[in-house]
Amino acid sequence: MIVYLIRRLLQVIPTLLVISLILFGLLALKPGDPIDEMRRGNPGFTQEDYDRLREFYGLDKPWYVQYWRWLGRVLHGDFGISRQFGRPAASYIFRYRFPNTVLLSGLSLLLAFVISVPAGAISAIRQHTVFDYSVTVVNFIGVSIPIFWFGIMLIYVFAVRFRGFLPAGGLASPGVVGTWPVFVDRLRHLILPVIALSSLQLAQWTRFMRSSMLEVIKLDYIVTARAKGLSEPVILYRHALRNSILPLITLIGLNVPLLFSGAILTETVFNWPGMGRAIFDAILVNDFNVAMVSLMFISLLVLTFNLLADLAYALADPRVRYE
Amino acid sequence: MSRAKRRTTEKGASKGQSPITAGESYWRGVWRRFRRHRLAMLGGSVLLIFVLGAILAPWLTPYNFSRQNRRNMFAPPSFSVPTDPRLVGTCERPAVLWFKCGMHPFGTDDLGRDILARVLQGGRVSLVVGFIAATVSTLLGTFIGAMAGFLGGFVDAVIGRCIEIMLSIPQLPLLLILVGLLANPEVRLAAILSEALGDAKSIVIIIGVIIVLSWMSTARLVRGQILSLREREFVEAAKGIGASRLRIVFRHLLPNVASIVIVQATLMLGEAILIESGLSFLGLGIQPPAVSWGNMLSRAQGFLYYPNGVYIALFPGLFIFLTVLCANFLGDGLRDALDPRHYSSL
Repeated sequence: MIVYLIRRLLQVIPTLLVISLILFGLLALKPGDPIDEMRRGNPGFTQEDYDRLREFYGLDKPWYVQYWRWLGRVLHGDFGISRQFGRPAASYIFRYRFPNTVLLSGLSLLLAFVISVPAGAISAIRQHTVFDYSVTVVNFIGVSIPIFWFGIMLIYVFAVRFRGFLPAGGLASPGVVGTWPVFVDRLRHLILPVIALSSLQLAQWTRFMRSSMLEVIKLDYIVTARAKGLSEPVILYRHALRNSILPLITLIGLNVPLLFSGAILTETVFNWPGMGRAIFDAILVNDFNVAMVSLMFISLLVLTFNLLADLAYALADPRVRYE
Repeated sequence: MSRAKRRTTEKGASKGQSPITAGESYWRGVWRRFRRHRLAMLGGSVLLIFVLGAILAPWLTPYNFSRQNRRNMFAPPSFSVPTDPRLVGTCERPAVLWFKCGMHPFGTDDLGRDILARVLQGGRVSLVVGFIAATVSTLLGTFIGAMAGFLGGFVDAVIGRCIEIMLSIPQLPLLLILVGLLANPEVRLAAILSEALGDAKSIVIIIGVIIVLSWMSTARLVRGQILSLREREFVEAAKGIGASRLRIVFRHLLPNVASIVIVQATLMLGEAILIESGLSFLGLGIQPPAVSWGNMLSRAQGFLYYPNGVYIALFPGLFIFLTVLCANFLGDGLRDALDPRHYSSL
């Protein structure tokens, strides 16, 4: 197990390096650097200034030399300065954007998990009932609906039609003070984006949970449990449910990082200042350091959660052995 | 499953023969199972109607999709023709069947353009993007997956690594970077594309970028199938009678993965349409004056507070939703129909 863990961790490093190389190369391909922008807005900007600044920032070197220097700085924990905000890119992302994303994505995950497990399980137990068919249809809707359109329609119904029932977007209303009112206000701002963001995962997980449960309740040990005379609820909820959640762990592990980068559309619709939106803006205005630090962080999250999902699976299921 | 079984026995009994006759071909069985899947039949029919609507778009409405009428902006959906000739405006043709000039069944947008005409025209772009991207991406994924699975060893390891890396890079930001690069006139490749393609450039870019970023799941699926298939007896037998490697891949292995590839292509259709609409919504996909369901939505959010402004957002989104939903119904039905061992609930 330990050997397996170390080997997987060692595999993460070259993968991350290749990813950073690809992302750096693509972002560096974009024409126009900050010195060009300085020159555009300043008539007194001479060619000497231009050459001197480009040399000072290392922008006159080919992109692979720049990459090598960037890598060196990053390994010392320096992700550079944001062009938009003039402050360190890493602290901007982690202090101002990451907490909002964790709040939004975390609640969406929680909501999706709390609903999909029972809905999928009950749907499997009562296969071919009206409940099962409704769950299946709702799942189809969930995987087919464009998130941003769903968000816009939610805004229309809850913020425009019933004006002021829920806020149309943003993080907080102006002029709200006090611990409790601020807490309630934040919750009200979270309701619509959380519903929109969790819809896809909710549908996928319910569907997965349903088929997993359907497989488990056909197995021999469930028949044994019935033969022992255990009550039906104990069989289903103690014996079957636990085993059918196992495969879901892997899927959740794979989906978690998606919620961090995939929230771009939801964050745009609801004007939520999270990481997805920060990445989008950074790419648009060519804020290289902010884009790199957030994208590398999300790639690291993807790799970490893949590993965690495998480990959690091994911990939860004693039959799985990694060598 | 029990319901489905009962229905076939009834049917068989009424004709006085067993439901599955001995000589039934595979594809007839597929068609029989597919027809029984009501949602899939519905999905397929609706998709067909949408495709027809998109093909016939320019001839189905009295207006051109870009015709503006600043005197009749934010009109609500209605089947009546206004009496004031200024509200009617000028039309290309007086009427198409019951659809008279001045009638706006889906309302008009912020520039007084007919939303139905735009939805039909937008469907052309969105469906073309969806169909081409889904087909090419599935074929590419099948080819790469088959290579990895059949050749194994070094090739398999390299392809596997590539897939893992591609899947670890956050997809949406990568799409944004690629599209941004290819739309920038200062990039050499973008300039060449722009020269060669003209107005169709943004459509071709979107299709290309979706293909590049979506072949991986198909490749993984096909690789897994090929790995288990190539150990089977019929492949051994083919090798035994001296079949070439190419013949084994194309005549013995690929036909056996055809069913999952077809299903995958259907699901990719929905996926591709969703990606296109998301990118266009963010303003990076299909560029005006071309119209797609996604870019119709890109400014729609700003009009929610206008009277009747919601229809600008409602209809294009509804059509994206219905198309993807039907593609998913179709995919589910095809999965059940193509693989008799696998039955889902519906």
